[in-house]
Amino acid sequence: MGGVGAMVKGASYSYAVFCGSFLRSPRLSFSIHNKKKKLLKFRSFSSKSTCSSLQPPDVSRLAKTAQISLTPDEIEEFAPKIQQVIDWFGQLQDVDLQSVEPSIRAETENNLRDNVPETFDHRDAMIGAVPSYEDPYIKVPRVLSMD
Amino acid sequence: MILTLQTPRPLSRLPRFLPFSTNASITLNQSQPATCTSPPPPHSQILSTRHSLLSRQFSAADLLRSHLNRLNLTEPHLRSFLHLPDPSDLLAQADSLDRRIAAGEDVGPLAGVLVAVKDNICTADMPSTGGSRILEGYRPPFDATAVKRAKELGAIVVGKTNLDEFGMGSTTEGSAFQVTANPWDLSRVPGGSSGGSAAAVSARQCVVSLGSDTGGSVRQPASFCGVVGLKPTYGRVSRFGLMAYASSLDTIGCFGSSVADAGILLHAISGHDRFDATSSNQDVPNFLSHFVSASSFESKPLKGLRVGLIRETIGDGVDAGVISAIHSAASHFEELGCSVNEVSLPSFSLGLPAYYILASSESSSNLSRYDGIRYGNQVYADELDSLYGSSRANGFGSEVKMRILMGTYALSAGYYDAYYKRAQQVRTIIRNSFTEALNQNDILISPAAPSPAYKIGEKKNDPLAMYAGDIMTVNVNLAGLPALVLPCGFVEGGTAGLPIGLQMIGAAFGEEELLRVGHIFEQTLENCRFVPPIIAEDIAS
Repeated sequence: MGGVGAMVKGASYSYAVFCGSFLRSPRLSFSIHNKKKKLLKFRSFSSKSTCSSLQPPDVSRLAKTAQISLTPDEIEEFAPKIQQVIDWFGQLQDVDLQSVEPSIRAETENNLRDNVPETFDHRDAMIGAVPSYEDPYIKVPRVLSMD
Repeated sequence: MILTLQTPRPLSRLPRFLPFSTNASITLNQSQPATCTSPPPPHSQILSTRHSLLSRQFSAADLLRSHLNRLNLTEPHLRSFLHLPDPSDLLAQADSLDRRIAAGEDVGPLAGVLVAVKDNICTADMPSTGGSRILEGYRPPFDATAVKRAKELGAIVVGKTNLDEFGMGSTTEGSAFQVTANPWDLSRVPGGSSGGSAAAVSARQCVVSLGSDTGGSVRQPASFCGVVGLKPTYGRVSRFGLMAYASSLDTIGCFGSSVADAGILLHAISGHDRFDATSSNQDVPNFLSHFVSASSFESKPLKGLRVGLIRETIGDGVDAGVISAIHSAASHFEELGCSVNEVSLPSFSLGLPAYYILASSESSSNLSRYDGIRYGNQVYADELDSLYGSSRANGFGSEVKMRILMGTYALSAGYYDAYYKRAQQVRTIIRNSFTEALNQNDILISPAAPSPAYKIGEKKNDPLAMYAGDIMTVNVNLAGLPALVLPCGFVEGGTAGLPIGLQMIGAAFGEEELLRVGHIFEQTLENCRFVPPIIAEDIAS
C-alpha cells in the first residue's frame, strides 16, 4: 500500500493494484454458503434446557390467531422452518439481562400534534379503494359465527 | 439469452444521445496518470444536471428521453420496476420545467432529477403494491411525505421499484411479481429488500431513488449493486406514507451513484412532519456545503478523524475478499489522515436474533390491517373470519406468512417476557455499546454485508442462511443510528467483478459528518469506477 506520507493521489495507484489483483486472483471463488453456515452454527444455542416452559409453536393455532387460512401443505412446509427460527430466537434466554431496561425504540422526542380534527382532502379516492362499498356503508359479511 | 449478455460487450445500441456525465472528472479513468491536471467538479449527477439545465446545455426533456431510452433497453434484463407511468406524463413534467427555466424562474434543487420510488412508499398517481398481491392494483389517496417533498423540489418520479414483499427479505426474490437482476451479473440478486431501487440507480435507469431500511434494506443492496446507500437516523425522515413493517425500526433511505447525490436527496426529504409522531424536530443542517471538488481538499483532509473498525465484522463467517476490501478502505482512511483502530462491540452477535424477534412481532401487528375490507384484494366468504383468512392467505407470500406467524408466537400471552421483552433489553445493550464506541471514535466502519451478491435462488429455502446476511446491518437499526454505504472495492465474479460496500456508522443525527467524510473518501478513491458492464459503453462517452 502507499506510504504514510503519500499524497492522496498516490493512494490511487495502490487502489489500482488492489482492484486489479482481485480481478486476477483465482483464489476468491469460495463457497459463500458454507461460510454463512459456520457463522450461524457458532451463534445458535440450544434452547431446549432453558425453555421447557414454552410450548413449541403450533402453526395451526398461530394461523387462526393471525387470521390466515393456511392449507395443510403450507402448515407442513412452514412448521419446521418456524421451529428452526424460534429455536434460534431461544439463544436470548442465555443472556444475562438482569437490570437492563427494555428500549421501545431509539431515542426520539415525543412530538404529538394538537388534538384537532382535520378534513382529509381525498375522501373519494379513499372510498374508491374499498373493495365492497354501498354508500355510505363498507359491506362486510356476517360477523357472528355459530361454532 | 442470459449467456449472450454475460459477454463483456454491453448493449451496443444504446443511443449516445447525451454525454452521460458532463464533469471533467470523467477524464480521471484508468488511461490517465494518477495526477490531476484541471480541477474537476465533484462527481454528482444532480449537481451536473442542475448546471447543464441552468446553462441551457441541454433540456430536462432531453435528459428524460436519454434516461428513458436506457431504461427501456435495460429493463427487460433487470426488471427493476413494478410500475412505469406513461412517458408522455413524464415528458409533460419535463417540458413544464424547461418552460420555467427559459422564463428565468427559480427551480428547486431537484429540478429535472429522475427519482425512482420503492413500491412500499405511497404515491397517489401510481399504484403502490408493497410488492404484494394483497395490494395489487391499489392506488393510495395520498403521497408519502418524502415523495411530496421531493416533488415539491422539482423531482420527476420515474416509476415504482421492485422489493421483497412489505420489506421482508434480503434478495428481492420475495416480491410477489418478479425477480430483479443485479446489473453487475444478471444471474445474481441485487440484494433486498430495496433491490429494485438499488438496481435502477446502478444501471443509471434513474438518477437517485428512495428505498426503506428496517434491517439493512438500503445498505445491503447498495453494497451488492455498487451504489451509495444512505440510512438516516430514525426520526430524521418522516415515515408517513411508508407501509409499516416494523415501526420502531423502519426508515426511508436514499440511493445515488455518488455520496453527494444521496446526500442531496436526503436533505430534500428530511425534517419534522406533523403526520409522523416519531419524526424529529431537530434542525436539518445544510449537507450540501460539504460536496466540494476534490481539488479543494487539503493533503490530509480527514486529519484527526478517529475511525473505529468493528472487530466482530471482519472475522468468522465473512468472505476473505470482503475483509480485504475493508482493510484497504481502512488504509485509505489512514492516507487521508485518520487514525484507524479496531473496536470491539461484544454484544454484536445478539443483534440478529433480537432484530428478528422485534421485526416479526411488530410486523404481525402492522400487517393485521390487510384484511381485504377497506383496501386491497378481497376473497369473499360468507363469514367475516373466513373472509379475513382467505383474503390474507391469498394475498400474502410465504415469507410474509411465516414472519407473521413467528411474530404472533413471540407475542402470545405468556411469551412476551421470553422473547419480545428480552429483545428490547438486548436493544438497550446494543444502543449503549454503540454510544460508548462513538464516544471514543468519530465514525465506525464495517462491511455492509458478509459477502458479495448471491446467485438468484441460492438462499430461497433456508431462512436462517438468509437472515445471517443481515448481521452487519441490523444493529444500526436497533440503535436508530445513521449509516452510509459506499462502494470501496471488488471481488471476483460476473464479467467485471462484484462490488463490495463499506458501511460507515455515525452518531444519532450525525448525517452531516457521515456525508462529509464519505464524500472525501469517495472523491479520493480513483481508478475504481463503479459502472456495471451492462451500461459501461454508454457511460464512457
